[in-house]
Amino acid sequence: MKFAATSVSVTLMACAALFAADDKLVSNFTFAVGKGPAAGELWVVSRGDAGSGLTLLTLELSATGVHATGMQQEILEKEETPVQDGVFSDVTAEHRRTAGASAGDFGWTLPRFETDSSGNYLSPSGFFSARAINAVDSRELGDPQLSSVDTAYSNAMTHAVSAFAYDSSAKTLWIARGAYGLVRNNFSKGINSSVRSSYVVNKDKLTLDTLSYNYSVKKSVNPAVYGLARHPASGSLWLGTDGGLFEMKTSGLALSRTGVTSLDTGRVTGVWIGGSPVQIIVETSARSGSSTQSHLWRSWNGGAFNEVVFRDTAGKVQKEIYDKADYSVSDVAFLGNRAFLSVQTIEGSLSGLLKLDSVGAVPWENENQWLYGLDAGVVDRNVTVTSVCTFPLTSGVTGIAVSTYGAGVSVSADSGKTWSYILNQASVGSNLSSIRMVPSVIEAGGSALVAYKVSKDSKITIEVFSYDMRRVRKIVKDAPRSASSTRSSVATEDAWDGYDEYGRAAAMGVYYVRVKDNHGHIGWGKVMTLGGGK
Amino acid sequence: MNRVFVLLLCFLSASAFADKKATLGSFDGFVERMGAGTAELGRGNTGSADTAAQPGAYWNPAILGFRTYTAYSLHAEKRDLDRAGGSLGVESRIGSRMGIGGAVLYRSDLAFDVINDDDEKLGTATPYFMMMYVGLGYRISRKDAIGLSFSMSYDNLGISGYYDDVKVEDGYQSPVTFNLGWLREWNENWSSAVVIRNLSFSKNLSATWTRNTSSDNSVSSTEGVRPKVLQIGLGYHSRLLGRPISSWMEALDYQVADTLLAFDPDLHVWTGRVGMEWEAIPGGKIRIGMDDSNYMFGLGYLFKIRIGKRWWPFDVSYALVYEGDAGLWDPLSFGINGRIP
Repeated sequence: MKFAATSVSVTLMACAALFAADDKLVSNFTFAVGKGPAAGELWVVSRGDAGSGLTLLTLELSATGVHATGMQQEILEKEETPVQDGVFSDVTAEHRRTAGASAGDFGWTLPRFETDSSGNYLSPSGFFSARAINAVDSRELGDPQLSSVDTAYSNAMTHAVSAFAYDSSAKTLWIARGAYGLVRNNFSKGINSSVRSSYVVNKDKLTLDTLSYNYSVKKSVNPAVYGLARHPASGSLWLGTDGGLFEMKTSGLALSRTGVTSLDTGRVTGVWIGGSPVQIIVETSARSGSSTQSHLWRSWNGGAFNEVVFRDTAGKVQKEIYDKADYSVSDVAFLGNRAFLSVQTIEGSLSGLLKLDSVGAVPWENENQWLYGLDAGVVDRNVTVTSVCTFPLTSGVTGIAVSTYGAGVSVSADSGKTWSYILNQASVGSNLSSIRMVPSVIEAGGSALVAYKVSKDSKITIEVFSYDMRRVRKIVKDAPRSASSTRSSVATEDAWDGYDEYGRAAAMGVYYVRVKDNHGHIGWGKVMTLGGGK
Repeated sequence: MNRVFVLLLCFLSASAFADKKATLGSFDGFVERMGAGTAELGRGNTGSADTAAQPGAYWNPAILGFRTYTAYSLHAEKRDLDRAGGSLGVESRIGSRMGIGGAVLYRSDLAFDVINDDDEKLGTATPYFMMMYVGLGYRISRKDAIGLSFSMSYDNLGISGYYDDVKVEDGYQSPVTFNLGWLREWNENWSSAVVIRNLSFSKNLSATWTRNTSSDNSVSSTEGVRPKVLQIGLGYHSRLLGRPISSWMEALDYQVADTLLAFDPDLHVWTGRVGMEWEAIPGGKIRIGMDDSNYMFGLGYLFKIRIGKRWWPFDVSYALVYEGDAGLWDPLSFGINGRIP
């Protein structure tokens, strides 16, 4: 298909999704969350055994927290997904996120990837538009026919969709496409009749060049666009590129720089704008050898850009907190004067939320750390936080939602102080009458949750036995657990990792897990380990 | 008085062994550890020093040297938590001093729910685990016999059909290992045995093998190590209330390391077995025993049926097992031994 720089050709794959009302998440492996069509509704992107899909959650706030009263699924076609295969393994910050954005009539937009010749979801092909349940469209963005493209941009992922910006007044959706620059979709005549234009940044001329048929894309002149956000007050677009940060005013296509050397010349991999007062958060991230150098910058209320301050609980500024850990930002949400950044270490296992106030990153009250994760109750088990968003939970309450790799979503109705966990979990019998191992097949070093329920507060002992009923491991002994109508398990403790009492990987086979309470109830579950070395 | 002392000693010894650390469960070899034969199960899984124990290829290949007839044994049991298992053995005399036999031991879980990370039940698998033995015994004197058996295992997890994105392998076959045995009947009262299990034709003589859990290397491979076992058995035969009574004790040392010999006690797990069998009425036997922390009770009855011109003996057995650590009662173990007249 020939790509026209300015065209009205929007390929609409109507109803690319298969509707199903399963009253559960497509999968507990969630990668993005976004504001739903109405208050109390939340979009969730999952990719699991059943494939990729979106779930529209209907949430209700009660005295005991946030609960899901409805879950409707849209399973996407097997050939496409919003979650590319390298979302964890890629070491470049711009590819370690599943960027979503609320885009007016387009609904919630997400990048789209198809399988490449190796069968991996690493072939960018457009974007999804989720307007409502049963109205999730898959929209193509064809490859432009250009005179030449810099060899540095030969990898398909260099033109992956990495950000969206929505201009409601101009009825325009801007899309960042990496090496292919920017796409402007003007849909004032309707979303199916949008006028599309493509541009690349010309950093020499400080303007956007129209991406025409005979254009030659050069990395030195046309830096790839990774970050994109629209200032809600001024209406200007902010472009994060591998050649620096640029602002584009509403009129014309002229660009301007910030005047901050690190941002004007650095590799800007993300831009997020929001909050009250408005703050602009910018991520710079560059690979150097086998490590990544990342920095966070912020402009607060129209002020100059400065690196985000990390202060300890005593108020003393700490150096090299962010870049030392090789973090990358997967998403940013704003709530009043606070910003919540979902971050993860690029080659580590840490993830969680950073909270920024008017000064900088907010440390723990009692500890000099800045990552809000398992210990802060953002998640209930050791899983990776993959994105964050704010959304209208009720007419008067703004909720914060977090997606996780393996534990569904977490939702807070009180600015992140307490969290409710929403995930797929099968019912278990009361008083240990049934024990469920989730998953029931693991490797050594994995984690099988021991799911059980007690009807009154209990002291729980969990032990693992071999087939011939030799005790292999004691997981917890007389651990206090609360009565629950769903599950009493404490996910961080009530799990088996496939190792015996002495830290050796248990041999491949079936093992039996006994759960006892102090009221005389006993239940058994089964788990299989495939073994593994240590 | 002496008899009472011997029996008491047997029980005390077994109790002492039973208190040792029990991490053995995380090592390969539960099929072997759980034994074979209902009669032997009822008396604490003891059989290495008993010339009548079946299947001889499993218990002690030297037993085959004492075999003077063609015999078979069949054992089936259903234990709590959907565990089913059993054994089948056939053995026969060859010439005047030799015997040969084979055995298959089987264990399975009849209802293993495969549940994924999304807490969805994908289906129910039936993983099973087998060990096969072929043995040869040679009687080197009127009182002594030695034996050699070869064994190998086959495991089938039965889960590959539930995973599309990972090419999980279901079946694993171990290399051939060998077992050595010696049995001596000292007199009409005493017998003893030494069995060394799980030697292999490899470095350190260890029964190890690498199992590639997935054909696409998406799951890390795992090393299987079936511990070497030194099993020493002792049997004592006497009379109680005028009826024959036998008691057995076995001490087992499991070397839980891939080394030729390890002298670090942390690399050894010691367990013990003890059992008694009293023929309370002609042909009728009562058995009790203990295997590590498991307690057993058994019954047996020998009867004959005339088929054609021959009387065929059938020795039927029942065993009740209490698995002490787990607190499970297993009342469903049945078996039959016989010989071709």
